Amino acid sequence: MSGTGREPARPPPTPPRAHSMREHVRATVGFMVITIVVCGLVYPLVTTGIAQLVDPDAANGSLLYYPNGTVAGSSLVAQNTNAPYLFWERPSLTDYNFTGGAPTPPGPTQPGLGELLNETIAYMKEYGNFTVNATLPFWWVAPSASSIDPDLVPEAVLVQIPRVSNATNLPIPKLLDLVNAHIVNPPIPDVGVPYVDVLQLDLALLPMIGK
Amino acid sequence: MFAVQSLIDVILLLILALAAAPFFGSYLGKVFMDRPILGDSVLTPIENAIYRLIGTSPRKSMRAMEYFLAVVLVNVALFVFLYVWLLYQNLLPLDATGAPGMSWTLAFHSAASFTTNTNFTHFTNETQMSLGSLVIAWPIALFVSPATGICVAAAMIRGFVRKDGTLGNFYVDLVRSMTRIFLPLSILIAIVLVFMGVPETFTNIVTAHPITGGTQEILLGPVASFQSISLLGSNGGGFYSANAASPLANPSAVSNLFLSFVMILIPLSTPFLFGQLIRKRAEAWPYMGTILIVFCIALALFIAYQAASNPALASITSLGAQTNGYPIGQETRFSLPEASLFQVTSVYSNVGANNMMIGALSPVAQLVLLFGMFTQSTPGGVGCGFGTLLLFAVLGIFVGGLMVGRTPEYLGKKITTRHVRWSALALLTHPTSILIPFVVAVAGGFVTTATGSIPSSAHVFTSVLYEFTSESANNGSALSDGYFNDATPFFNLAGAVVMLVGRFIPFFAMLMVGGLFSEQETQPASAGTLRTASLTFTLYITLFLIIMSVLLFLPVIALGPLAQII
Repeated sequence: MSGTGREPARPPPTPPRAHSMREHVRATVGFMVITIVVCGLVYPLVTTGIAQLVDPDAANGSLLYYPNGTVAGSSLVAQNTNAPYLFWERPSLTDYNFTGGAPTPPGPTQPGLGELLNETIAYMKEYGNFTVNATLPFWWVAPSASSIDPDLVPEAVLVQIPRVSNATNLPIPKLLDLVNAHIVNPPIPDVGVPYVDVLQLDLALLPMIGK
Repeated sequence: MFAVQSLIDVILLLILALAAAPFFGSYLGKVFMDRPILGDSVLTPIENAIYRLIGTSPRKSMRAMEYFLAVVLVNVALFVFLYVWLLYQNLLPLDATGAPGMSWTLAFHSAASFTTNTNFTHFTNETQMSLGSLVIAWPIALFVSPATGICVAAAMIRGFVRKDGTLGNFYVDLVRSMTRIFLPLSILIAIVLVFMGVPETFTNIVTAHPITGGTQEILLGPVASFQSISLLGSNGGGFYSANAASPLANPSAVSNLFLSFVMILIPLSTPFLFGQLIRKRAEAWPYMGTILIVFCIALALFIAYQAASNPALASITSLGAQTNGYPIGQETRFSLPEASLFQVTSVYSNVGANNMMIGALSPVAQLVLLFGMFTQSTPGGVGCGFGTLLLFAVLGIFVGGLMVGRTPEYLGKKITTRHVRWSALALLTHPTSILIPFVVAVAGGFVTTATGSIPSSAHVFTSVLYEFTSESANNGSALSDGYFNDATPFFNLAGAVVMLVGRFIPFFAMLMVGGLFSEQETQPASAGTLRTASLTFTLYITLFLIIMSVLLFLPVIALGPLAQII
């Protein structure tokens, strides 16, 4: 311990930089080039490669097919099924088109909200979606966030059974069995809510009505 | 109402995140300490090769100004790359959707938005972004911007334990945060997401044939790899404009919980990164406490007000009773607490993704989200959130020290007026960069609808406030869609400036504060030293943060969200 003050009391006022400006530019450009190649190209390609290997069905959009092999849709995307003989999806602000983006439904204090709900309810009533106590499940008439929400709460499917039965001449108990078989319960108790994937239900309905 | 048992999974997930945070946080700390960690045998040679290639070395440590210069250089390079790409995206690879090149103001806003970790979008992904922009250009920013954030936080924290005035080497930190954190985790998360049903393909459009006739074009792409880094790095941009509400991006309640965990993992672990770097792990808990107190109150309020029914709908006949929360702008597959957990986590971690439509929420729920962006630090975005919290603490300790007549010091380093000047600069930047453009927009008649008329209601007022708050906090969530047109040159340019200011001035302040600490010797603890690893300090910082945020923003809250509530 010499104790002669090897260190200055304060650092020098303008200490030299660790890199010259030229070195900074080289590091920045070099880093960006590597990043563009690794994050922009290698990363999505490697991930897609692994995904296509381990779960091709999900990786390709969980598509649903008709018996003849044509793509009917995706189990994750709602489509317009508003025909009397089919179960209907939630309403869509974009008519189920991706190019419509994701519009926001009217806010809770906006007058447009009541108008929109009344219109939807009137439309659904006009096509015979009446139940005994004459109310329609809120989740069914409410516009979703994605405008392509493919799922319905079970109550909203059950209220459609009388209309579907009427249009297809299928007995109500048979339709009830079909719907009950398509209710997806949470895989882990209380994670999520029970729902019905409407497109899958409708595709299962088609052979029963000879289409 | 909702079933109380549906809260259980949300509470369990938070406990899981809380349990993972100390371990993951100390891993993060070791990444920035150059200590031996898992993966060294494979990754160290690669990293060394990269250092040689770009001409730097871990031995070259930068002082605050040089570190900031490096941050600016990398981010300018990123910005220019994105700006040029978006202007000419129609000429670049993978233009399957036929998206045209962006106007210069929109490209400017979007490039600023991606660079600053905001990912606030003034465009519709499905029609205005080419697949190349979505797959190649944007993800580069999704990686570089959170990496910049965590490097700045780590550099600032190093100031507490160094005495030579340096804060580390930005390029080395950046490379290590990519190889050790963001790349491996993103790949892992993306694969888990694919198992949960998220697409990952280079097929862009699948034409489906709906039962009722016609065709439906289903847009696909490498959604899982986009979603994973977007949410892990508190970016929040969505592959689809419906973001995480889209069933293709967030297919189930399980994926929703998983993504909530992904979003909060790094922000919640950063206090322990701090604890690891300063080698005093107990010092992490006061910040953890502050984050948890504010976050849990916010989540509880959000769930309570979304469970309540909307009195405006009482007059609608034939409408069934409300179950599982208020369904307008919500997705069927999530329970109310799960959907709320995602949304509150997203906004409070400054991710800005949404699994519901914020514009359709109850005004109180909207206010809860706004408050998270006012504090920016509970837990806040990757790196910058914790950095902001440290600046609050520096200011709080200074004020508290003056009140009790002690020399303000923290972790053995004296807090002087110079530290306070930089902290105050950062904390005042936020309200300034929200309120000035907000007043200009409203008073200058720049708020118009798509048809050109000037709307006036508390709702529109809240939307404009939300827009600038989201941009200044580098959050990226939006409420405005449909209430006014934000894809105008004014909102593009003003928004871009707000995002850049809201990002880089606080970064500058964080590095300057870190640099000042790094120039000081560490004082030994004495009887007069404030004990900071204590409950008192936790509550003090929490209250300081809440009171500061409320005082700064009360006038505008009164004009917009409060006017809607009353």
